[in-house]
Amino acid sequence: MKKIIIQSIFTLSICCLFGFTGPVKKDKKHPGTVTLQFNNVFGKEDFAFKKEYTTAFGEKLTFITLNYFISNIKLTRKDGSEYLVPQDSSYFLVKHPDSLSHLIRLDHIPKGKYTALTFTIGVDSIRNTMDISRRTGTLDVGGKARGMYWVWNSGYIFFKLEGKTVNEIDSLQKRFQYHIGGYGGYDSKTINNIKVKTLALSKVAVSGKKNPLINIQVDIAKFFDNINPVKVAEHRSVMWGDWSVKIANNYYSIFNLGAVQY
Amino acid sequence: MRKPNLIILAASAFLLAIASSFSVKRFQAEPLKITLPANFPAPLYTFKNNPPTKEGFELGRKLFYDGLLSRTGTISCGSCHQQDAAFIQADHDLSHGVDDQLGRRNSLPVFNALFKKTFFWDGGVPNLELVPVNPLENPLEMDEKLDNVIHKLNNSPIYRALFKQAFDVDTIASREFLYAFAQFMGAMVSANSRYDKFIRKEGVQLTVEELDGLTLFKQKCSSCHATDLFTDGTYRNNGLKNDFSSDKGREEVTLNPADRGKFKVPSLRNVEYTGPYMHDGSLETLEEVLEQYNSGVKVSATLDPLLQQNGEKPGILLSKAEQRKIILFLKTLTDQDFLHDKRFSEPETNKITAKLKLNK
Repeated sequence: MKKIIIQSIFTLSICCLFGFTGPVKKDKKHPGTVTLQFNNVFGKEDFAFKKEYTTAFGEKLTFITLNYFISNIKLTRKDGSEYLVPQDSSYFLVKHPDSLSHLIRLDHIPKGKYTALTFTIGVDSIRNTMDISRRTGTLDVGGKARGMYWVWNSGYIFFKLEGKTVNEIDSLQKRFQYHIGGYGGYDSKTINNIKVKTLALSKVAVSGKKNPLINIQVDIAKFFDNINPVKVAEHRSVMWGDWSVKIANNYYSIFNLGAVQY
Repeated sequence: MRKPNLIILAASAFLLAIASSFSVKRFQAEPLKITLPANFPAPLYTFKNNPPTKEGFELGRKLFYDGLLSRTGTISCGSCHQQDAAFIQADHDLSHGVDDQLGRRNSLPVFNALFKKTFFWDGGVPNLELVPVNPLENPLEMDEKLDNVIHKLNNSPIYRALFKQAFDVDTIASREFLYAFAQFMGAMVSANSRYDKFIRKEGVQLTVEELDGLTLFKQKCSSCHATDLFTDGTYRNNGLKNDFSSDKGREEVTLNPADRGKFKVPSLRNVEYTGPYMHDGSLETLEEVLEQYNSGVKVSATLDPLLQQNGEKPGILLSKAEQRKIILFLKTLTDQDFLHDKRFSEPETNKITAKLKLNK
């Protein structure tokens, strides 16, 4: 009897093991995988913390934080038909230097040739007002979203860039911080910095065999050098106000298509 | 290796069945009924996805009174929301946080939270479930981080057991933590004042002067302090100040200059016990408050139009006799049952733990 029990426990464990990690059934209708890779750069240089950069305005900077939310991802075919990643699994936090967070893997993509990729830089307004059961994973304010949520003015921070200016003498004065959010307001209209970005693709084929990796270049030099020039000495701390709108309009254009690899 | 035969498979299935029935049987949190007062509007928080249970409520209560939620381990929610002061901080104009720091605003009572559209003086948080994160992470209040609190709770065998009982989870996450709070705060319904028993015809009669006060209140105060919640939930500039450089109120959330100096109209339930008054705690007594409305209202661009109906002089004209009667009426809004309801007081077990810490 004892032997049988031990054997059954063994069998049970095997069953469980396969139940959880066994090969996923091939999804014939939706066989494809698309991976997005976000590459932070500073002009022609790689982006790294503690490395010194010079902005277009001659300001010398180092960075200590760079996080942004990417959500509501959509792929469009030439005929206009779309594949929308299921909303509950369409929230990602890209967090430098965590390289895994820079890779967004999308499974079950229907076969086809896609001509556009659309995503939100930030978190849509509905999700910003949802109850706590819908704020799990990257949206968990007591977990992965730490530091990416305003407690006093309930809402997610969409884009966060922090660092230090190099030439400042007073060490307290060195810090700069840009915390950009704003989903439009719950019961009164206010700043809406939700940015929906569409990148044109030159027919990216997805099938069971062809699984593309789409590189997206994020140029932090253009965060400063853009339609609204950001001079750190003049705007050292931007969180909630007119300048947050200007900065969001800047970073909307720093996300651009890089190489597509197979 | 020998292939598992049918008998073994059957035995496995049997064991699996036992195991699963066992786990179903183990999670038996007892539903908690929260009675909604007949004279209140419909609640806005409905416990959808978070059905209240006795275990969840008790856990929320224990957390509410636990200093573990603060960076220093010394400040609990109950430090600034004291039951005998109708869940505000007695004798403090501004809330008193970690390292003896003072907050920027007067603490607000936490009861009747189910019926609130938004929370805090500026309405910055629209969802009851997200309310605790604000004081918890405010550097002038508890100065902690939610993920660190979750970490501390997961390190506590007692809390792990309590969360298991209440939510059937082995690892505590922010969701269950915030659910427990919503259950405890949501269950804090204060609706058994003499006024309530009078209005619901439960055998209580108000005195002639209190009734006079009620009539005056209806004429002069109830446009803003509306319904039996005694607030319409809006934000208004009540003329307490005309310089908003240190605190712009609602404008800080909406960034709309038309909201400058506007603050949430507070409920007046248990107002006898919630002094000092106003968003900055600058008025000590109800007498001062009523005199402020009579003679102290300051004009500014966003002053509420309802306070500008007397021609030249802003405010609400109130004779001393009228003020006295209104105050007599306001005191009928005191809910002694609620203020002494042991269900909402600090659990004895928390007090013992706190004492042990002090003696260390």
